[in-house]
Amino acid sequence: MDWHQLWEITSAPDNVPIVALILLVPFYTWYGIRQALANDRLIAQLEADPQLAKTHHRKTMPWKAGWSKEIPVWPYLLRIEFLAAIVVTVILMVWSITLNAPLEELANPNLTMNPAKAPWYFLGLQEMLVYFDPWMAGVVMPSLIIVGLIVIPYIDANPLGAGYYTWKQRRFAISTFCFGFLFLWLLMVVIGTFIRGPGWMWFWPGQTWDPNNQVFEVNRDLPDLFRITNIWGKTIFGAIVMGIYFAVSGGVVHKLFTWSDWNKKVFAKMSFLQYITMQGFLTIMMLLPIKILIRHLFRIKYIWVTPWFNL
Amino acid sequence: MPDTSEKDPVITSSLGTFLVVSSVLVMLTLVWALYNEFFGLRPWKSYERDFAVRYVKFLRKQIPVQESAEKAILASPDYQQLDQQVKAAEEQVKDKSDETDKQIAILDARFSAITETFTTERAYVATQVYAIEHTSLDNQTSLQNKLAKHEAGPFRVSLPTLPDGKIVTGDYTFQQLQDEFNKVQLDKANMLEEKSELLRPVSELRKKRDAYLTDHLNGLTTEQMRGVLKKTQDASIEIKQINNPDAGIVDRCETCHAGIREQVVITAKDMGGKEVFVSHPEPDLLTLHDPEKFGCSPCHGGNGMALESKERAHGQYEHWLWPLHPMENVQAGCQQCHAMDMVLDHAPVLSDGKDLFQRRGCVGCHRFQNYDPEPELIASVQQQLLLFENQRSEAQRNIARSIQLGDAAPDNDTARMYYTQADKLRVSISDIDGRIEQLDRRSKDLLRDTKKVGPDLKEVRVKMHPDWIPVWLTNPHAWRPSTRMPRFRLADNEVKAISAFIWQSGIDAALPTQPQGDPVKGKESFETRGCMGCHSLDESSPHFAANLSRVGEKDNYDYLVRWIHNPRERTRPYCPFEKRDLTEADYKKHGLPFVFDLDHSKCPNDGHELQVEQETIMPNLRLTIEESRDIASYLMTLKTKDPSSYAKADYLNDPSLKAQGHALVQRYGCAGCHEIAGMEDEGRIGTELTKEGSKPIEQIDFALLTREAREQGWYDHKGFFEHKLAKPEIYDTGRDWKDRDPNDRLRMPDFDLKQPEINALTTFLMGAVESQIPQRYWDAPEDQRRDIQEGWWVVKKYNCMGCHQFMVGQSSRLMTLPRYQTPEWRDQLPPKLMGEGARVSPDWMEKFLANPAMDSKDTDRDGVRAYLKARMPTFFFSPIEIRKLVRFFQALSGQPMPYIPPKLEPLTDQEIAMARALFTSKGAPCLKCHATGDPSHDKFATAPNFLLARDRLKPGWARRWMLDPSMIAPGTAMPSGLFKPVGDHYVFAGPTPDIFKGYDGDQPELLVRYMFEITPDEQRRLMGMSADMLKTSELIRIQEPVHRLTDSRQNRMPSGPIAAKIAGR
Repeated sequence: MDWHQLWEITSAPDNVPIVALILLVPFYTWYGIRQALANDRLIAQLEADPQLAKTHHRKTMPWKAGWSKEIPVWPYLLRIEFLAAIVVTVILMVWSITLNAPLEELANPNLTMNPAKAPWYFLGLQEMLVYFDPWMAGVVMPSLIIVGLIVIPYIDANPLGAGYYTWKQRRFAISTFCFGFLFLWLLMVVIGTFIRGPGWMWFWPGQTWDPNNQVFEVNRDLPDLFRITNIWGKTIFGAIVMGIYFAVSGGVVHKLFTWSDWNKKVFAKMSFLQYITMQGFLTIMMLLPIKILIRHLFRIKYIWVTPWFNL
Repeated sequence: MPDTSEKDPVITSSLGTFLVVSSVLVMLTLVWALYNEFFGLRPWKSYERDFAVRYVKFLRKQIPVQESAEKAILASPDYQQLDQQVKAAEEQVKDKSDETDKQIAILDARFSAITETFTTERAYVATQVYAIEHTSLDNQTSLQNKLAKHEAGPFRVSLPTLPDGKIVTGDYTFQQLQDEFNKVQLDKANMLEEKSELLRPVSELRKKRDAYLTDHLNGLTTEQMRGVLKKTQDASIEIKQINNPDAGIVDRCETCHAGIREQVVITAKDMGGKEVFVSHPEPDLLTLHDPEKFGCSPCHGGNGMALESKERAHGQYEHWLWPLHPMENVQAGCQQCHAMDMVLDHAPVLSDGKDLFQRRGCVGCHRFQNYDPEPELIASVQQQLLLFENQRSEAQRNIARSIQLGDAAPDNDTARMYYTQADKLRVSISDIDGRIEQLDRRSKDLLRDTKKVGPDLKEVRVKMHPDWIPVWLTNPHAWRPSTRMPRFRLADNEVKAISAFIWQSGIDAALPTQPQGDPVKGKESFETRGCMGCHSLDESSPHFAANLSRVGEKDNYDYLVRWIHNPRERTRPYCPFEKRDLTEADYKKHGLPFVFDLDHSKCPNDGHELQVEQETIMPNLRLTIEESRDIASYLMTLKTKDPSSYAKADYLNDPSLKAQGHALVQRYGCAGCHEIAGMEDEGRIGTELTKEGSKPIEQIDFALLTREAREQGWYDHKGFFEHKLAKPEIYDTGRDWKDRDPNDRLRMPDFDLKQPEINALTTFLMGAVESQIPQRYWDAPEDQRRDIQEGWWVVKKYNCMGCHQFMVGQSSRLMTLPRYQTPEWRDQLPPKLMGEGARVSPDWMEKFLANPAMDSKDTDRDGVRAYLKARMPTFFFSPIEIRKLVRFFQALSGQPMPYIPPKLEPLTDQEIAMARALFTSKGAPCLKCHATGDPSHDKFATAPNFLLARDRLKPGWARRWMLDPSMIAPGTAMPSGLFKPVGDHYVFAGPTPDIFKGYDGDQPELLVRYMFEITPDEQRRLMGMSADMLKTSELIRIQEPVHRLTDSRQNRMPSGPIAAKIAGR
């Protein structure tokens, strides 16, 4: 266990946000879910008691007579936001006084660093380059992420759960978010920061970042395993495999989506276009963890090799 | 009923506490941020304040000390006298100067009285003129009228008037005002000039008086110090910056190092132990390199712009590529601009490093620009030769074609065009032939200049005792600690294989058997002929070349005799074209005798230039074969054991070892330093080091020590070099390195360097960087200073400084030997070469360097100083090196090249008679000491023959030499004070011969002219005239007191006026 190395990575000024992220994200996730569960309990209580539902003051706290049902934003919300702004200001100032921007030596085009790591918020994208070709990881996937985020309100047929924390009413949405953002995106950022060392090699935490380290990473494409050498053969083979994948994963996604009775109702409300769009994004998103797995477990680089792109 | 006991927390809970606390926090961070901004990030402010306080305190203490010293000088009679003179002169002109002052005062008053009115009106007129120029034609006339009316005035002014300053009021027009305004100024200027003319004698006396003070006062005067004090007190706290946009230098070092350029010498002790405030320890360097131009960081390293902490400013953090040089390597900073300087004043450590790089043979494996350039130059010359030969044959083809085309041309014009073309090509061929000839000659010269660090290994069979080779290879330092041969970490089988390969690839030839010589005579010869200029006989004082005490334990006698007699003699010539050593058979084939030397250097097979000399620095002392035998016999007597006592090495002849040995020799790069058969063209095996100091640290292989180096703080260039030099195999580490394939191990051998040597080499390598400053700032002069730079490389290459003194303060090796400590033997020292360029004619020097015997047949002599036992050897310089040396000496003395001798007036008969009289006078019997060519007389001679003077000397120098030789060569045997000045010329200081009565010419000049005309007959005549004096021998030592005087003067002399010139002023 190389504590020195570990300390060097975690204490680098560059990595402060990631270390904070590792602590803060679980905390706020837990905090949000706690709130959601409390709301769920309240919803259950109000559903059981229509009288109370009429008079309840729209707070998570138990109902008290005389409490006003609605309160103005000013001052009750804004004063808390103001307080938060002050606290954040203090944190930012202390941070900027104590930690200087980590400048390095003058750029030398003849001597580039290895690895040249992206800013922390792009490390996930950089990590994706390991699993996809640059066209996919650099252009297609980021575009899909952005378009996918834009599309969410238009494919969301669930009328409930807006403006308050709830788990029961938005199980599928929350699970998808937790998987897509917390698990996939942030995990890749963390991998990019703490796991990828010199030469973008994989180092477990506590392992020394030795530039001379040797790793066994002789990769092959899926068609190679089936001894397909012809490029058209590979193209067709990959297309078939991808077709099978989309069929199977579409089924799995459908199964998961219609797991609960509530979601079945939501499904019934969705138009075909909404549904197929959602299916498309989800199955493509699922490609990422699958590729990570087959890459690390079976050393497979591409599934679908074509003269124009690789997947 | 509303439950009033429990309030709605959202509405009722107070955030006051939180708000107050966080507001206080935000205010505190604001204060912190401000503090950080003004002080935390700007520690230099406290440095500046601290400096001001300490410096003021120091100056206050120092001023009274200086004041008392000054007072003593002021009270001295000399100063008083000067002061009196000043006062008297002042008194003399006082009335007149007072009068002038009064008039100037009146003029001043007049000027200020007129100024206000005039400038106001002038401003108004200017606006009107502008308006007239820019208005329509119609308006112009009216405006002009208006202006004219205004200019007519009148303007009433009251002006003080000369001579008594009475105020006169008058009316003026604008033009009159302007004239008056100009006139007043002119008058005042005239007055001032008059005054300064009046005061000139006074100010000159005052200057003399003040100069007396500064000359006798050590340091600044009190007044100047007070000025410094005031400046320091008034200094504001601000960043002090040197900015040279031309070179991209921005240095703020002086913000903290505030005292660095102070003229007052400040030591750390003066400043309460604060090193940061000291003044620069070598102010001379700052004079040579004006800090306003060069800044600080280009030489010293560091981040000149940074101010936020000492570490940042000194560049001692991970990402700054040019950290401050540590004190012991501070001279590294010189190298980037002074790469061409082999000898650098002010940088002895760096110069040592440069020297070691050559001497220890680093250059055998590592290329470094300017070092040992001959092999590369030869390659490039050969490339060019090839190119020209191609061009030549192409031209020849084209000639034939042009003629063909011309013959077949349809009309005369076309035919003529083709024939002209053919003619042009013919001419171009002759041009190419000329170039080829030059290149051939150059290649021959370069071949002669190619020297190897180590001996020729082709000769082992004729030279060595075979059993010694493995002993040597195993550990050369054990056998001879001071050797330059490094220790390779060889296993026993490797030693065997290499020995076998070397032995089997050696030339097998028989040497003539030499009879024994006389060791007693040999000892004397060895110690006096100049061998000791390079060689030593014990380990305590190793020098340029090998310690020869054990040479008898390895070499055979016959070879040693040949080597001493002529070290350049090869057993066989080497043909670089065929890449093999030629044998007698090659010559026989072509019916040629087996003779090869510098005059017979063409290959019989292909006509290419041969290597006919040993590639050794060792020169030929032109000793007779008998004397060579004596020396060899002497050296053989020094051995303490016989070569037969070494373990038998029968495997040397085992052919099965040869292939392995060859591979090993190749691997270890032995051919870098030695000539080895079949490996003449092997390249250098090491990495090039010219820019090693700025190689990115990532590319320097600390191997498994990377971590350790980082943790112990030597993960930098200095650390790498020092560890590598101290123990080259240090990076061969790790659990398995012993089992590792030997081919994977480091090859660099151990040199057993001492700590100062490691430091010198480290300094040199640290300085070997890609310079950040523009090339025009480097020391790469195009004028004579370039000749000096180039010359030093040759001087160092051949160790001329082993016998000669080039700079005052530098002593040759011979001068330090015990033998040369007595006056008699001091006269036997080889000549000092200070001012040599001013002394001798370059044409003569060229001949002398090519053949110091100055005679093609009788070579067992010294061309100039036959009386010296130490002998100027023949170095077999190529014309390239001779040219460099001649230019070097001329440049060192500031002599223009080419040299055109001044014309000397021929002597009249009367003058000849006078010169003879002086030459043979009792007061200065010149021929007493100067050689004449008569062997019986020359036995006692201690100075050169006058017959040489005409070709050898420059007349101006000869005259200066006669006037005061000790000024030119301190410690010379030539007596000083032979002449004394009388009026505008010099006369003989001794009893002047009668014949000089009535002669008022310059006597030394007369002698010079005589010297430059003297013939052998004339000399014999002189000898006859002074025969009686030449018999006694006491006179030679009469000059003893003079010697002593000049000796002590030499000791007092500050080092290096010549050296300072070299440093590139």
